[in-house]
Amino acid sequence: MSKSMLAINRSWGKVMASRPELREQHELIGSIQPALHYPQNWTYATSHSMFKAYTHPLHDVGGQPDVPVYYEEKEEEDWELRTYVLCETLGWKGAWNAEERRRRADVDIGYTQYLGIPYYGRWLLAAARMLVDNKHIKVYELQQKIDEVRARYVKQQ
Amino acid sequence: MSSSSKNTPVCRFKVGDRVRIKDQSWLFYSRVQLYARGVEGTIARLNYTDLVAEDETFNVEGEIEQHYIVQFRQQDLWPEYAFPNDTLQSEYPDRWLEPLNNSQA
Repeated sequence: MSKSMLAINRSWGKVMASRPELREQHELIGSIQPALHYPQNWTYATSHSMFKAYTHPLHDVGGQPDVPVYYEEKEEEDWELRTYVLCETLGWKGAWNAEERRRRADVDIGYTQYLGIPYYGRWLLAAARMLVDNKHIKVYELQQKIDEVRARYVKQQ
Repeated sequence: MSSSSKNTPVCRFKVGDRVRIKDQSWLFYSRVQLYARGVEGTIARLNYTDLVAEDETFNVEGEIEQHYIVQFRQQDLWPEYAFPNDTLQSEYPDRWLEPLNNSQA
């Protein structure tokens, strides 16, 4: 982190970053992943590189340093298929389009939720938020429904 | 959601043209990778025409634009990459491409 912070303003104003500068920007973006905790306290100023990192569209993960991860072949679960169908149906009905879904589920959701919530869980959250933002449903109505379904589910267990 | 996109898409490039990916603002939404910005490549294919994604994602039907497949040398993207003949292809709209020494671009 501190090494990247030393280079914070080097690429400001240039047409393109050099490859080493690109690596530094990737490392800076990676450093604000929520797993790394350092306190931030209503800063009065932020560097250009740090501003770029904060506003970087989360889904652009290509090039970020990482460790090898186990690739798992996995069938969709029932709730995942239902989520997919629900979101596509909302598209056919004109409630949103696929690009809006991507923005809401992959970018607007924020780093912590992007990395922490399963893929179709993010679709579902995005759909619910879209319905609320566009006043198709009321938040309190949604919250009551969630509590009602949860109570019914608990009873069945 | 009304359809207001009636422009004829700009199509400045043909297969084989050299281009550079522009480094434009990513504020609020972008589909163009950080690693590809400023890098030179070659038009490998003309893909479909589609809405400007940055507008469509906010539910605004703006311009229609030509999308292309651009081929890069892996070593142009990642200098430490070990295999000089390997390439990578990705998709970009016309607006994001800067022409490089082409005959009529």
